[in-house]
Amino acid sequence: MTVGPVERDEATAEFFDGTAAGQFLLRRCPAGHFGEPAVAQCTTCGSMDLAWVPAAGGATLISWVVSYSRSVGDEPPLRTVLVIGELDEGPWWWAQLVGDDHDADAAGLVAGLRLRVDFRRAGDEFEAVPVFVRA
Amino acid sequence: MQDAGPRFWPAARRPVIAGLGMTELGKVYGRTPAQFAAEAVRLAAADAGLQLAEIDGLLTSSGVSGGISIDLQRDLGLTDLRLLSHLQAYGSTAGAMVQFASMAVQSGMARAVACVFADSPLKPERRAGAVYGTRRTPAGWWGMLGASGVVGANPMYALAARRHMERYGTTSEQFGHIAVAQRGWAARNPAAQLRSPITLSDHQESRWIVEPFHLLDCCLVSNGGIAVIVTTADRAADLAQPPVSVLGWAQSHPGRYLRRNPELGLVTGAAAAGPAALGMAGVSLTDVDVAELYDCYTFTVLVTLEDYGFCAKGEGGPFVASGVLGPDGKLPLNTGGGQLSGYYMWGMTPLSEAVIQARGQGGERQAAAHDVVLVSGNGGVLDHHSTLVLGSAAAAA
Repeated sequence: MTVGPVERDEATAEFFDGTAAGQFLLRRCPAGHFGEPAVAQCTTCGSMDLAWVPAAGGATLISWVVSYSRSVGDEPPLRTVLVIGELDEGPWWWAQLVGDDHDADAAGLVAGLRLRVDFRRAGDEFEAVPVFVRA
Repeated sequence: MQDAGPRFWPAARRPVIAGLGMTELGKVYGRTPAQFAAEAVRLAAADAGLQLAEIDGLLTSSGVSGGISIDLQRDLGLTDLRLLSHLQAYGSTAGAMVQFASMAVQSGMARAVACVFADSPLKPERRAGAVYGTRRTPAGWWGMLGASGVVGANPMYALAARRHMERYGTTSEQFGHIAVAQRGWAARNPAAQLRSPITLSDHQESRWIVEPFHLLDCCLVSNGGIAVIVTTADRAADLAQPPVSVLGWAQSHPGRYLRRNPELGLVTGAAAAGPAALGMAGVSLTDVDVAELYDCYTFTVLVTLEDYGFCAKGEGGPFVASGVLGPDGKLPLNTGGGQLSGYYMWGMTPLSEAVIQARGQGGERQAAAHDVVLVSGNGGVLDHHSTLVLGSAAAAA
C-alpha cells in the first residue's frame, strides 16, 4: 500500500473533488498569488477572495527523508521516501515520493530535482491522495 | 529600555521561581496525567516551603495524552484562586506559563502561581514510538498528510533538518556529538532515564527512525509531571529555596506551518525570542553561564544554538563537534541529559534543569558558574518558541 486511507471533511471537499479528477487544486487570489490548498486567505496579500485553480503539476524538490517502519520478525523495515515539493506556482506540499527504488536509499535525491504531482488511493472507498513522482 | 526590565523592579513585583516539584519520571505506570500533575504541584509547594493553600494562581498544561484541565484546582482542593487557566503552545508552553505567571505576580493579580505539566503516554503494553504517531484520525487535511506518509513529528523535523544539512553541510556525525555530550551529562543525573555512556559510533549505528535521524537523535517518551511556583522576590525571601529570578522572557511564533517557508530548518523563532529575552534581562549572550535548550531532536539543539547566536548561522555543526559540549566542554548545555537522555516533559525538561542549576543544586553535574541560565522552549515543527532568562540568587543581589 502506497498511501493510507483518508476521508473528506467539510474543509477538504473541493480539494478531493479535484484529486478525484486528477487535479491538484491551489487557492488563487484576484491578484494572481497562489496559496496552499488549506489556506483561508492569501498568504501574500491577505485577500479572502480565493478561487480553486488546478496546478500545472510540476514541482521541484525542497527536502527529503527516508522513513523506516518498525521491523516485524525477519522482515526488513519498510522504507518510504517523504519529501517537500515546491509546486511551480510557488506553494509547498509535504507528501510521499513514490516510484523510487528505495533499496538504493534516497541516493540521487538533491534539492532542485524535478518532480511531478500524481495521485494514489488506499482503495476505491477512500479519497485520492496527492503524491510526488520523479518528472 | 534595559533599566525597565524585571531586574530593576521592586522586590514586591519582581518574579522569581521559588518551588520545583518533579514526580518520578519515565516508565512510571498506573497514574493518570491529572494525578501526576497534582503530585507535582504538591511537591513544588513543599519544595518552596509554601502551604498548598497559599497558592493563589494555577496554570495547567498537558501533553500528548491530554487529561489535564483547570479541574486540577478541584483535585488539589484549592479555593478562591485569583488566576486559573489552561495553556497550550506545545513545547513552548512551559516557558510561556512562567512568563504569564511572572506578569501575574508583577501586576499583583496573584502572589504565588503554580505552573504544571504532566503526561502519561507510555502504557506497559505499548511501544514508545506508537504514542506520538497515532493521534490523528484519517480525515481532512491532517488525514491526507498522514495518508501520504508524513506521520508524526519525526519525518517533519527530519525534513527540516535535511534542509540545514543541504544548505550548510551539517552532518549526522555532528548531530551525534550532541547526543553523546548529553548522555555524558545524564550519567551524572540520578533522575535521567538513560545513563549509560554512548559513543559517536553508537549514535551512527543506532537504527534509522527517519533518515537523517537515527534513534539516538530522537527524544525519549516519559510519564510524569513537573511543576514550578512563581512568586515575588520579597515573598520568596522567607521561603525554603534559593530564589531563581525570572530576568527576561520572549516568545516567537513564525506561523508558516506546512506553508511555503524558505526559512524551514534554517532559522527558528529562537532567532527573534532569544535577543528579545536577553535584552529584557539586560544581559548579553556572553553573560550566559548555562544553556538548557529544548531538544526534541539533536538538530533542534543545533539550530537553536545558531539562532541564539552561540555560533554563526550555518556553523552549528562544526561548533557542536568542536568539543565545546559535554561535562568536559566549556558550554554547560542540557546538563541533566535533556529530553534525549534525561526525561521528556516537553518544556519542563529544560526549565526544571535550569532551576536546579541556577540554585546550585546540580550535585555531580552542577555547573561552576550558574548566575545566568538561558532556557528555550520549542513547539510544533519549530513553529512556537519561548525563551526565558533565569538568574541565580547571587545574580539578583
